[in-house]
Amino acid sequence: MGKKLGTYVCSGCGIGGAVDLDKLTASAAKTGGPVRRSTAFCLEDAQLIRADVEGGVDSVVIAACSGRVNTDVFRFPGAFVERVNLREQVAWSHTPNHEETQSLAEDYLQMGLVRAQKATPPSPYTEANERTVLVVGGGAAGIAAALSAARSGAPVVLVEKDSSLGGYAARLFRQYPSRPPYAALEETDVAARIRELRSTPGVRVMLHSEVVSVSGQPGRFTARITSGRGETAETSREITVGAIVLATGWRPEPTDKYERYGLGRFKNVVSSMELEARAARGAITRPSDGRPATRVAFLLCDGQGDDAHLPYGGNVTSLIALKQALYVRQAREDATAYVFYGDMQTPGQHEYFYRSVQDDPGVLFSQGQVRAITEESDGSLGLDVSDTLMGGDIRLVVDLVVLATGMVPSTVDTEGALGLQYLQGQNLPTTKFGFADSHFICFPYETRRTGIYSAGTVRQAMDVTMAVRDGQAAALKAMQSIEKSSAGQAVHPRVGDLSYPGFFMQKCTSCGRCTQECPFGALELNDKKNPVLNTNRCRRCGICMGACPVQIISFNDYSVDMLASMIKAVEIPEGNEDKPRILVLACENDAYPALDMAGIQRLQYPASVRVIPVRCLGSVNSILIADAVSRGFDGVALLGCRAGEDYQCHFIRGSELLDTRMDNARETLGRLALEPERVQVMEVAISEADRLPGLLSDFVETIKRVGPNPMKGF
Amino acid sequence: MATLIQPDLEFKRAIIGLDAHDLTACYQCGTCSAVCPISSADNPFPRKEMVWVQWGLKERVLGNPSIWMCHQCGTCNTYCPRDAKPANVMAALRDYSIAHYAVPPFMGKALNDPMYLPLLFAVPAVIFGAVLAWLGNLTTLPEGRIVFSKFIPIMYIEVIFMLAIALTAIGEVVAGMRYWRAMDAQAGRNGHGPRRVVATVLEILRHTRFRQCNEEPVGTRKTYKSHLHATHLLIFYGFLGLVITTTSVGIGIYGFGYLTPWPFWHPVKILGNVSGAAVIIALCVFLWRRIADSTRAGKSTYSDWLFLAILLLTTLTGFFCQWLRLAGLRVAYPMYFVHLLLIFFLLVYVPYSKFAHLVYRTVAMVYAASAAASARSRT
Repeated sequence: MGKKLGTYVCSGCGIGGAVDLDKLTASAAKTGGPVRRSTAFCLEDAQLIRADVEGGVDSVVIAACSGRVNTDVFRFPGAFVERVNLREQVAWSHTPNHEETQSLAEDYLQMGLVRAQKATPPSPYTEANERTVLVVGGGAAGIAAALSAARSGAPVVLVEKDSSLGGYAARLFRQYPSRPPYAALEETDVAARIRELRSTPGVRVMLHSEVVSVSGQPGRFTARITSGRGETAETSREITVGAIVLATGWRPEPTDKYERYGLGRFKNVVSSMELEARAARGAITRPSDGRPATRVAFLLCDGQGDDAHLPYGGNVTSLIALKQALYVRQAREDATAYVFYGDMQTPGQHEYFYRSVQDDPGVLFSQGQVRAITEESDGSLGLDVSDTLMGGDIRLVVDLVVLATGMVPSTVDTEGALGLQYLQGQNLPTTKFGFADSHFICFPYETRRTGIYSAGTVRQAMDVTMAVRDGQAAALKAMQSIEKSSAGQAVHPRVGDLSYPGFFMQKCTSCGRCTQECPFGALELNDKKNPVLNTNRCRRCGICMGACPVQIISFNDYSVDMLASMIKAVEIPEGNEDKPRILVLACENDAYPALDMAGIQRLQYPASVRVIPVRCLGSVNSILIADAVSRGFDGVALLGCRAGEDYQCHFIRGSELLDTRMDNARETLGRLALEPERVQVMEVAISEADRLPGLLSDFVETIKRVGPNPMKGF
Repeated sequence: MATLIQPDLEFKRAIIGLDAHDLTACYQCGTCSAVCPISSADNPFPRKEMVWVQWGLKERVLGNPSIWMCHQCGTCNTYCPRDAKPANVMAALRDYSIAHYAVPPFMGKALNDPMYLPLLFAVPAVIFGAVLAWLGNLTTLPEGRIVFSKFIPIMYIEVIFMLAIALTAIGEVVAGMRYWRAMDAQAGRNGHGPRRVVATVLEILRHTRFRQCNEEPVGTRKTYKSHLHATHLLIFYGFLGLVITTTSVGIGIYGFGYLTPWPFWHPVKILGNVSGAAVIIALCVFLWRRIADSTRAGKSTYSDWLFLAILLLTTLTGFFCQWLRLAGLRVAYPMYFVHLLLIFFLLVYVPYSKFAHLVYRTVAMVYAASAAASARSRT
């Protein structure tokens, strides 16, 4: 092996009182390296470890607290550090000085020693370090992103397909209030922001231009940009950029969707975007005859079960209707605005705006479903509205009907995409609504293409104020991505991770599964159909490692072989039905911290579990499950995040992919004539520590009922 | 069947002007109807009145019994999450509807505007002044023991009041019928007659709804209604007592020639004094609560204060007349004159002041009971 291991067993924080440390350290003696004890390695005794590392120890196994704490104290450059969790997951969560607790601690130490034997410190990939930020789209979000990045010192290229900057934000007459007391309409400050951008050094604005293709990886993307249209000759050039902010905005939902509401059929039915233009021109008039519109109905088209129900609009269409009701009222004293809604959505402080618009006696509100619109001989429109708050159906005659405009994200259209030269396709992966897919809670800007961040209305229907904030945030994300990439570190969620997958190509069967299952499109195929890693696209989740049918994908510190050896390191008691052994593969993002928290809360769960943290459940290769059961484990529990449409998986598809791999695992169980109940997937959120003891105890009970694994001892 | 809606925003502004300016804040959550002790699922007031007023649906809201079903306990005001004060809106609607159904219409206006107050008093002052002048008592007061019939014979008063009350009664009946027809028109059930009248009258005598308002707690918030049932019961029977007293005196004089003043111990006299005291006590409670809970318990507009003040002054001057008479002070005569003016005000302006709730609430309750009864018999 040639490795020199140092073992450090801590007795502090109650570990010494729960586990017989003499017996424990005896089992580490055969490593040949130093084995030391302390009541607190996290204090002065950290020096003992440092001294050993300086003296030649290259792998440090610290049997103490969870690897999630004291990470700065236990960082020893040049040495691989393995943390054995004797505190949160042994001493704090199991009966002290019980023989099962003791054997749990001993197994954990052995598992740590095995992993330390096999792991090596990674050497980072640091070859991509272009610092330019490319901003695609010159609307409110794009301008804000460009300004933010430029002010923070990054060179910026802003590409806008139109002849001017500002996007839809520049076409708004007014915007609804963004500050207390949330009553008066505000000017949009887009023009001022454009001037600011023009005078900021380090920003190159390319109008009439489009990004037609993007290849490469964070820190070194190559973007091809074509410029000029019509009379201007079209030119094309390639630039190298470090990261990309996608702020391509939205387009209105096509009018045919609103045919039922008379859009396109009746002259006096307009979209809210059209009303902006009319309001900007002064008086609000009827398109049919130019007479003043004194009775104006706003339809939010948001009723459930409405065939024209807007999938796009969400929290802004209500506010836009409120704003435009004020246009109507401010244009003419005798005008009345009617607002029909399914749900009046005025998030946050905008409730005050709703309240202030309500105060105007000339703005009338009701929930209601508009069943039919008919045109009268003079061009007026009759609305038949049912399910109103007034009780029963009503009919109302108005001069003008304004329909909420659905804001379709440009990611829905191929032409709005970046032309990604990725094996997995030119477009960003999207949700069912066409928005760029992202872990919406933790990583809202991060698309599934590392180094490409979406901002503004392309990401979510939003107003100008929010789009500006969004652009600023995405710019910071882009710069962080550039920083990390140039240092060879993962950006997120495994911030700072230097490891990345390696491929033992001699055994590769070129099946291409890794390239298909990578949620981030990090892997491409070369001419020989062999996978090639774009390191900076990789988020180091290990999903490729879980996918590979011949297990040739490994990290320096995380591999199928390492996990299999850890599984083998567990002592399986034979012929004792009271001592089942359950392998728990726990996702490091949510389930493992939840287990730690259970310990912190001193919640007790069965000591028959052996927990191995995994980068993502998607990184679990099904051969590991087969290994565990043939080794004699009575059951395997996979603890991870929620899969599906409202997934919680930090690597987007990990939990979902595991589900398909479980079919393989169950097949293996069937082949071994074992019960399918022995393997279970459990969804645990980070906040659900309290659920864990119940989940694990129930599983142990199930296993006891099923009986011991007959493979024990083979 | 869709009904054509023509919002009347002048109506909305008028209601807002009757101290219901917060009605625009309502966003129709329905908390008011949920906490209202007497509102029901199929008739969710005051929630529906709120949106009707917001939309200026004047005919719909005025031709609707619910505004009088409400007994103004103010629970909705306490629980409204937006402070829209539904109880104020209901009270404003009642004020508005009294003026709206008033015959002749200008009387409705006169009782809601302080400008007309001197004129309203001038009418009885001129009538009684003329009678006194004719009797020669306008400039010189009668000598000797104080007997009010020496000042102005009871017969004269009876005749004046009989005529006035007859006029009033016509006004009341006409207004009540207009309201009934308006409700019927809105319900689209034209022409079903009153049913369950006795039951409704019994309900009124028992103050059943007031008791419901009082008794059914909805939550833990402080409401401003604990005095309502008892106080209104007191004023109601106090007033009834005074009516019985007056009627008995009339019967005594004309049926049996038993001339006034009657001795102090006479049962009718006792009834009169006790009833008067009851009315005064109840009025004091109402006034005190209106002042103490001014911001929470509901609106207090001119018409509210006028009604309470006239009632209180009428009763008080009645007592003063009696005491001054017993004390033998001749100032009792001018006091009697003032008392007569106040009685005139109270009785003759009934259909136009807040006193009209007597008519409208009864009509509304009978209508609601009849509608419910005919709905039951149809099914």
